[in-house]
Amino acid sequence: MRVNVFLLVAAAGAALAGAVIAASVLGGRETAPEVSSGVRPGATELAGIPQQGIALGDPEAPRTLAVYGDVQCPYCAIWDEASLPGIVDTYVRAGSLRIVFRGLAFIGPESDLGLRAVLAASLQDKGWNLLNVLYANQGDENGGWLTEDSLRRFGETVPGLDVDRMLSDLRASEIETEIAAGQAAAQAGGVRGTPSFELGPTGGTLGPVAQRELDAALAG
Amino acid sequence: MAVLAAAGAGVSAYLLAARGTPVCSTGGCELVQGSRYAHVLRIPVAALGLAAFLTLFATALSRSELARAAGAAIGLAGLLFSIYLLVVQLAVIGAVCEWCVAGDAIAALLAPAAALRIVQ
Repeated sequence: MRVNVFLLVAAAGAALAGAVIAASVLGGRETAPEVSSGVRPGATELAGIPQQGIALGDPEAPRTLAVYGDVQCPYCAIWDEASLPGIVDTYVRAGSLRIVFRGLAFIGPESDLGLRAVLAASLQDKGWNLLNVLYANQGDENGGWLTEDSLRRFGETVPGLDVDRMLSDLRASEIETEIAAGQAAAQAGGVRGTPSFELGPTGGTLGPVAQRELDAALAG
Repeated sequence: MAVLAAAGAGVSAYLLAARGTPVCSTGGCELVQGSRYAHVLRIPVAALGLAAFLTLFATALSRSELARAAGAAIGLAGLLFSIYLLVVQLAVIGAVCEWCVAGDAIAALLAPAAALRIVQ
C-alpha cells in the first residue's frame, strides 16, 4: 500500500513537472518570429518624424529621453509596443521631446548583430524604423531569429532603407564607436538592466528615471 | 517543512513584486527575469512558485494522507522544475539570478522533506 502511494505520488509529481516544463519550452517557441511567413510591422508610426543618427524627433526639442535597450530584451519589446507609440504621438510629434536609443548587447551574439544593424540603419537615419521592426519580430534569445538573412527581410520592410548598404556597414568604424559610447554611457549612468531611461534637457545632463515613473516625468 | 515553504513563498513573492528588476548582486536577475523563461503560458514563474510554496505550506499543516501525498507530489514537481530552471539559467540564458537560485534551493530541500512525510 505504502509503495503504491509512493509510486502514485512520484508519477503525479513527474507528470506535473513535465507539463510545466513542456509549457515553458513550447511557450518560448509560440512567440518565435514569423519570419518565413512575413515580417510584422513595428508598433510605432514614425513617418514624418525626423531622425538624426540614432536620435528620433526634433533636434531642437527642449527635452531628451535616452532609452537603453537590447533588441533581444522582451521587456524592451513590450515597452516599444505598449508605451512608445503614445510617447511619440504626445511628445515627439509635438516637438517637445527627442528620444535617443542607447543600444546594449548583453544577451548574446544576436543582440550584438541586431544592435549593429540598428546602428547601421541609423547611418541612413532609419535606425528607429529598424529597431521598431526588430522588437515587433523578436524571437527566442540567440535562437537564430537574427541573422544577416533575416536582417535583410526585416530591413526590406523599412521604406527608404538601403539594405545592402546597411549590411555592409555592420562592421563600420562608426558602429564600433557608437557601441562603445553606448556601453560607456550605461556604465556612467549605472544602468543594470533594460529597458532603462534617462531624461533631461537636450544638451544638458540626463538623470535616471524608473520605468514606472516615466509617464509622470514626461508629463511634468 | 512549513518554515521552508514560507521562506520559498517569501522569495517568490519578492520576485513577483520586483517585476523583473529585483535587487541582485550577480547582475543576472534582470536578464533571467526579463527572459522568456520567466513566464509559462504568460504566467510569471514566480507566481507559479508562490502558488506551489503556499500549497506546500498548507499541506505541511495537515496530517491527512491526501495532504501528505499532494505535498510530496508538488515537492517532486517543484524539484524537477527547479532543476530545469537552473539548466536554463546556466546553459540557455547564461546568467544566474540569485533569488531564483534561492527559490530552487528551497524547492530542493522541500522535496525530500515532503517525501519523508509519506514514507513515515
